[in-house]
Amino acid sequence: MSMSDWEQLQHILNCPVRCEEVLLSDYPAWTGLEAGAIVEDGTESLIVAVAVDDGTIQLLHVERGNLNETEKALISWSVSRYGLQQAEGLSYADGRTEAERNARALGEWIVKQSLAGGTEPLPSSLSQDGRLYAEMIPFLLETEQTAEASAFGELQKLMDSFLDEDVIVIPLKGQEWLVLAPLSLVRDTLEERDEQAETLEESLASIGSGLQEMLASEWIGECHLAVGRPMKPVKSVVQSVTLLRETIELGRIFELGANIHLPWNMHLERLLANIPEPVRLRYVEQALGRSDVFMEAETLSTLDTFFALDCNVSETAKKLFIHRNTLLYRLDKLKQETGLDVRVFRDAVLMKIILLLYKFTKRA
Amino acid sequence: MAGVRLEHVYKKYPGSDNASVKDINLDIKDKEFLVLVGPSGCGKSTTLRMIAGLEEISEGKLFIGDRLVNDVAPKDRDIAMVFQSYALYPHMNVYQNMAFGLKLRKFKKADIDKRVREAAKILDIEHLLDRKPKALSGGQRQRVALGRAIVREPQVFLMDEPLSNLDAKLRGQMRAEISKLTKRLETTTIYVTHDQIEAMTMGDRIVVMKDGIIQQTDTPEVLYNNPKNLFVAGFMGAPAMNFIVGTLTEQGGTLRFKSSGVDVAVPEGKAKTLREKGYASKEVILGVRPEDLHEEPVFLEASPDTIVTAHVDVAENLGHEMYLHLNGIGTQSVIARIDGRAGVMNGTNVKLALDMNKVHLFDKESELNIFEN
Repeated sequence: MSMSDWEQLQHILNCPVRCEEVLLSDYPAWTGLEAGAIVEDGTESLIVAVAVDDGTIQLLHVERGNLNETEKALISWSVSRYGLQQAEGLSYADGRTEAERNARALGEWIVKQSLAGGTEPLPSSLSQDGRLYAEMIPFLLETEQTAEASAFGELQKLMDSFLDEDVIVIPLKGQEWLVLAPLSLVRDTLEERDEQAETLEESLASIGSGLQEMLASEWIGECHLAVGRPMKPVKSVVQSVTLLRETIELGRIFELGANIHLPWNMHLERLLANIPEPVRLRYVEQALGRSDVFMEAETLSTLDTFFALDCNVSETAKKLFIHRNTLLYRLDKLKQETGLDVRVFRDAVLMKIILLLYKFTKRA
Repeated sequence: MAGVRLEHVYKKYPGSDNASVKDINLDIKDKEFLVLVGPSGCGKSTTLRMIAGLEEISEGKLFIGDRLVNDVAPKDRDIAMVFQSYALYPHMNVYQNMAFGLKLRKFKKADIDKRVREAAKILDIEHLLDRKPKALSGGQRQRVALGRAIVREPQVFLMDEPLSNLDAKLRGQMRAEISKLTKRLETTTIYVTHDQIEAMTMGDRIVVMKDGIIQQTDTPEVLYNNPKNLFVAGFMGAPAMNFIVGTLTEQGGTLRFKSSGVDVAVPEGKAKTLREKGYASKEVILGVRPEDLHEEPVFLEASPDTIVTAHVDVAENLGHEMYLHLNGIGTQSVIARIDGRAGVMNGTNVKLALDMNKVHLFDKESELNIFEN
């Protein structure tokens, strides 16, 4: 059952309602139950079977005691109707569920709009039962391998299980997926006000990293993920996808070895990517007097690490597993070759810009 | 449990002229702890990521047990990974972090609980099960990441620099714990590190890599005592092996190694091989480990033909031992490791005898160890 369904039921019954999935092997007596069957009728709560599949049973907990018989019968009937609708959803000729068809239609609309640079309002038929009116966190996922036909169902199930929230999965292009997660995922962060609390961006980055690692190891292998700030999909989904797509594209060029990319860390990269290539090349040559300084992988990794660690010599040496003096020697050598001493702020800024321009020219 | 076999494995990235990993052949035995070691960019992590299924194999075959897994998804390889930049799931507590993989695989609730609590006990994190990752220290997070791998009871553990984010003291502690743990679980483990101390202390066997090529695969003892080439000799050991370029010369029926400030006799056994291989009167590189330079009078008396005199630039006394940074043996600085009670002072001259039975000689062109190839 989706979040909006629970919310409606909660509203009508005026009590907490939650859905839970358990293994039938833990509760063998519940095997064969049909949707709507009352599993437990306690003094504190009512538990109703929602769906049984593949060794699991989905249960609806209505956390209110003293429900009268009419209320119980109504809940049971609603849940059985819901189960019927779900089953009907599977009966399309292409084997796709209603949810998948809706998500694909929404994905096609987003792709079309983003290609046309469109600002058309989202048709209400694609608003996922009104769920896209709420503020949500966008994750854009790009996989290296092409997903199989069953991928939508797998990913939806995985995301529901991982985030334990009502998540919308939208297939975009072949290897590209948009995942919209509810804002409640970072509620702790938004509510904490002490100085130790994570910022919203830190919280999004850490959820993104966990999600990326889970998807890589439990689903599809190598993949890249970009996370955006919360937005209202009904208004901003196209802009958000465009931004996250650009973030992954730039991340693949500028953040080699990283699989999680954050738009708020890419301002300079985005600016420089808009400079025409001949201008970029000319600038690098003029600034350095030559264009082959970064040819050595060692120079590139040294500078990348040095800048990533805020030009801290000791930390950089530690991270690169080299002696501090070795690092100083490398920086001195670079100074001799380019005239730029990256330990000086002005030169460091210039070198950072040149380095980004060089990477863009070489790998775009 | 299972072994892992790599047959002629290559990795070539699109747009790159050279392969990052070249012709890797490895047969990792069931329950073995194998360490891949080498400098940054040598291809060790790429090799591990190919085994994990996170990188495609460009050429060659990879077997886990008897199963060819080139095209098997990571989740279906029955492996568990712990990486340097392990990301715990921030919205879950420690228990849920460890249980998640099992929940996905539809393990029974009771089984999940048993495995999580057992792993937590082994890792001494039972008291942290209700905490969220952000409330944990670096070492505790590392244990949770390990716990997440352990509960899976996989056929193979893959670990990529799992300790490098920890401070030196904790690293030493965790090093011993991981060794103990993998022995107890009897799981095949492939461990990547840049740190040769980790490699020497943890591995049943070590693979030394450079520029995407395996340089030597053997036990820590063999790698240390019988390195196949100059790179392996210099990489394994801290302080590193000293290298002196010089010439082998026949003098009065004895083969001698001569360089600036060095004129020492080569033992007859070694001299015979060198003559047979045509190295007499050729330039070679002599490698001597710091502990094979001796200042003890008894050693000096017994080896009058291998004595050198050097100037002590710096004497670092560590208490139980002393490192002498010496000048005057060959053209580069040489380090000797001697007894901490020797009382050698900075700026003095010292007489040392080379243990010529333990020195290595390398071909100057190919850099191969003349006695090991």
